[in-house]
Amino acid sequence: MSTYHRKKPILRFWDNTGKPYSFLVPALTVFLFISLSPVIMSLILSFYDFTGYDANIFKEFIGFENFKILFNDRYFWISFRNTFYFVGASISIQVALALFLSIVIFFGKFKNSVLIRTVIFFPAVLAPVSISLAWRQILSQDGVLNQILRIDFSWLSSVNLAIWCVIFVSIWQWVGYNMIIFYAGLQSIDRTILEAADVDGANWSGKILKIVIPTVTPVIILNVILNLIGSFRVFDIVYVLTRGGPIHNSEVFTTIMYYYSFSANGPNKMGVGSSIAFIMFVIVIIFGVIRIRLMRRGEE
Amino acid sequence: MALFKKRTVRYEENEYGISRKRDLGFFIFSRILIILTIIVILFPILWIFSISIRSQETVYSAFMFLIPKEFTFRNYIEAFQYAETHLNVTFFQMFRNSIIATFSSITIAIIIASLGSFSFSNYRFKGKEFTFTLIIASFVIPAQVLLIPLFFILRNAGLLNNYLAVIIPYIGFLIPIATLILRSFFEQIPNEIKESAKIDGASDFRMFLQIILPLSKPAIASCVILLFLETWNEFIFALVFLQNPQIQTIPVAIAKIAGGKYIVPLGTYGASIMITVIPVLIVFVIFQRWFIAGMTMGALKG
Repeated sequence: MSTYHRKKPILRFWDNTGKPYSFLVPALTVFLFISLSPVIMSLILSFYDFTGYDANIFKEFIGFENFKILFNDRYFWISFRNTFYFVGASISIQVALALFLSIVIFFGKFKNSVLIRTVIFFPAVLAPVSISLAWRQILSQDGVLNQILRIDFSWLSSVNLAIWCVIFVSIWQWVGYNMIIFYAGLQSIDRTILEAADVDGANWSGKILKIVIPTVTPVIILNVILNLIGSFRVFDIVYVLTRGGPIHNSEVFTTIMYYYSFSANGPNKMGVGSSIAFIMFVIVIIFGVIRIRLMRRGEE
Repeated sequence: MALFKKRTVRYEENEYGISRKRDLGFFIFSRILIILTIIVILFPILWIFSISIRSQETVYSAFMFLIPKEFTFRNYIEAFQYAETHLNVTFFQMFRNSIIATFSSITIAIIIASLGSFSFSNYRFKGKEFTFTLIIASFVIPAQVLLIPLFFILRNAGLLNNYLAVIIPYIGFLIPIATLILRSFFEQIPNEIKESAKIDGASDFRMFLQIILPLSKPAIASCVILLFLETWNEFIFALVFLQNPQIQTIPVAIAKIAGGKYIVPLGTYGASIMITVIPVLIVFVIFQRWFIAGMTMGALKG
């Protein structure tokens, strides 16, 4: 009886004194003013026509006009496609590469495994702006990549390849981060099982498919979700590397939103920018619902 | 704090995986693959460092693409001058701005988040999980959704071009991350410790200040590192809300060297990037374990 009693939380009764709420007041205030109300305001603003100089932004209600402008803009659909590529690559190629690297490092028994992991992880702590500036120069027409390959090609001005260059730089920066998370997952594998498999003469594919993959499946899901959230909102890498160019062919949601709302060369139509925010919000909600559904199914 | 303890264990001594005798093919393959990966990861950084120490005449040529023919540190002096004349902001000011924006938002966010996490970990109350989900959910929503409304809210409050213009949104973004980490850490603190404080007659707030917070130093340290990276490297909000060059943070100010308005000599370009990279590199080398632990923990808690 007493052991049962001890396991229960310190406060076993509902606290109705208001104390728990008083500790939460600052966090909830911030949530209310910095997250919730701007989100709602953003959704409403997507039905208004306004610019950055307007004193009263809720003056001209135009219904779905902003969405019409957007859906008739060819480059909006390109940004849609590019965001899809970006998210797709970062949840597939990047995660697979990270898993592969972590397995090789884990089973490779390197003497300086910690150093190797630290080096591969290192780009993740640098500012995306700094590394994009570096890559911008490397990929430029007189850049060092062309010198190494002995070709003359302007990677970032290529209509088809520009977005893939951006995706490559993003993978370069974040693959080590995913790898470190996988490695933490691999360390939780029961070593006796691996040794037993070795004794039984299990081959590589067997060990990886039957022992490693089942153990790291939750970590794969975690990395996919992290990359989903991160790559959907990417802005700085695209902005610095290509500015969405050549002629908007490497825009993603966030950069085309910046172009419509704030860019000095843009149309300064913040209503259209807000409707892009609206669409992004809806997509996030859809993904959130799918995720919750999947989790429920997993529990059943 | 399993993560910190784990690191001291030496896995290399265990008998699993490959050894040179047993699987020579994999041994060679893994070495080649890792060496190639490290080259791909380090080359861009080394190359930028290399052009930053080349003299202007030899900037386009180097031995093995990396080793300069003529060394010089002039580029660094020129980068400082270039920032002052063309970007209208000195590197000293950039660093000051980034430090002010980063550390004030981290401090406030951690104070607010730890109070909230204490409430989540210490009480049962109506709407607890719902409130928690609400606070965490704002982590999933892309910050850019808030960009336009916050622009007008801050403008009408007269806060644009003020450090508060970025500090306020940053606090909003950091609280969910910090709450996620701190709540789960606070919940691991044994009840016996809390109970003994209760018996000694400490109020809940005193228990929080004098027992929970001191015990949570490692979690708070990891939190600080995670939040530091989020804010130090943040770009779009600083870009939109800080238009006065004098108060721009490092990423915003430095991004302008790619603007193309003025032609930047390649050496100066490289030196400018290195000036932003070197401090982070130093901090990273000193605290590397904490960085990795902090970022892994942040992820695993999510």
